[in-house]
Amino acid sequence: MYTALNRKRNATSPNVGPSSLPYEQTEQSKNEPKQMIVLEWLFLTIAPCDAAEPWQLGSQDAATPMMQGIIDLHHDIFFFLILILVFVSRILVRALWHFHYKKNPIPQRIVHGTTIEILRTIFPSIIPMFIAIPSFALLYSMDEVVVDPAITIKAIGHQWYRTYEYSDYNSSDEQSLTFDSYTIPEDDLELGQSRLLEVDNRVVVPAQTHLRIIVTSADVLHSWAVPSLGVKCDAVPGRLNQTSILVQREGVYYGQCSEICGTNHAFMPIVVEAVSRKDYGSRVSNQLIPQTNQIAEA
Amino acid sequence: MAESATAKSPSLSEQYLLKGKEEKLESIKPVEETPIENPVSASEEEVAPKTEETPVSVESSEGAPAAAAEESSEASDATAVESSEAPTDADEGVSGAAPAANEGSSESTEEEKSGDEEAAEETPEIKLETAPADFRFPTTNQSRHCFTRYIEYHRCVAAKGEGAPECDKFAKYYRSLCPGEWIDRWNEQRENGTFPGPL
Ligand SMILES: [Cu+2]
Repeated sequence: MYTALNRKRNATSPNVGPSSLPYEQTEQSKNEPKQMIVLEWLFLTIAPCDAAEPWQLGSQDAATPMMQGIIDLHHDIFFFLILILVFVSRILVRALWHFHYKKNPIPQRIVHGTTIEILRTIFPSIIPMFIAIPSFALLYSMDEVVVDPAITIKAIGHQWYRTYEYSDYNSSDEQSLTFDSYTIPEDDLELGQSRLLEVDNRVVVPAQTHLRIIVTSADVLHSWAVPSLGVKCDAVPGRLNQTSILVQREGVYYGQCSEICGTNHAFMPIVVEAVSRKDYGSRVSNQLIPQTNQIAEA
Repeated sequence: MAESATAKSPSLSEQYLLKGKEEKLESIKPVEETPIENPVSASEEEVAPKTEETPVSVESSEGAPAAAAEESSEASDATAVESSEAPTDADEGVSGAAPAANEGSSESTEEEKSGDEEAAEETPEIKLETAPADFRFPTTNQSRHCFTRYIEYHRCVAAKGEGAPECDKFAKYYRSLCPGEWIDRWNEQRENGTFPGPL
């Protein structure tokens, strides 16, 4: 296509010489890095959807109905926000523009106007209402445990790592599927892993299942936050905070501690891996069998 | 229980629709909780008739899963069982029927799972089942939920003897809800006789 176009141009343009050829070649090679940049931008903004990305402005992709609701609410509120912004800046710019000693030597001196006062009282009180109604609806639906959960996972924050307990399959107090989740140090990262986001043991959960996450801490305040899942739950020592999530698609979701907890606050990320129910069953049983055997031997 | 939601990814509005179905089950639960409180405050005389009545609940829980497997809607099924059981024994019949509906749904998932994995290797049964949402603890803070389930279990054991099958579900509940560290500490305190709760 490119060469055909060139030929056509060569044929039509009158001043064609051999000198124009190298110029075109350099142009072509110049185009390539440009294309690469465009591709890179597209790629960067598409590839890691469930983790933070460079220069990200919006939210991460939603994986739960709650997060979808949060994003929708954000967009709803932004509608009003832009409406107000345009209106106020129009008034401001207009006032600045017309307040001029040459253009308007005698400025208007309105000190009282019933109509405008009613309007500017009623409209600003209606707009927060339009924002508040969907906001409260979402807020209370987040608190509510709609369905009986199928799985309880305990996320316990420590300085500075996390412990996860899967205790639904226990038959005694001692036997429990418990593991620690530490961040992977920068030097050990493999190609493609995100810095300060990857952990050694991920939380494996089934997709399309109602989960109850019980968040608590063993020492100081922490927080269990995963943006894609729309969860940010504080971990308070001596208190069990419950949050319920329904992961709608399989994938790996990243989050970080969101309550300043000490020196290594930045180094205790969260990785949730949502798998199909079948895979979840086999994962749990594969981890459970060795544990129960260990206990039986001990 | 979550089976109906699993078929397709439910939107927010569809999730709200589930609530209607859920409230039916919720309305059953208040009855379920009452027998738990009874053995606590009651004397031994009240405990004795309870143990005699247990065969009724066992029968109903055995009958229910078969019905639950046949019918997809568990909620209507549970209410049907409830209405048939109600005249004989209100308390025990219902407390047997509600968990039975739970088992029915989780067993069906187990069957399809075991069907897929039979060729690979035999794995221990993983039931997707945990402590249900409790109307007494609707808040985010579930500390008291965990503590109450722990106490309920030990009261149950105290009333019906070690290893009573009725108490197993409370054990499951408190193990699901409480962090292992807490349980260890409480167990220690009970041995030392310094447990702060009413046992
Ligand atoms: Cu922290």
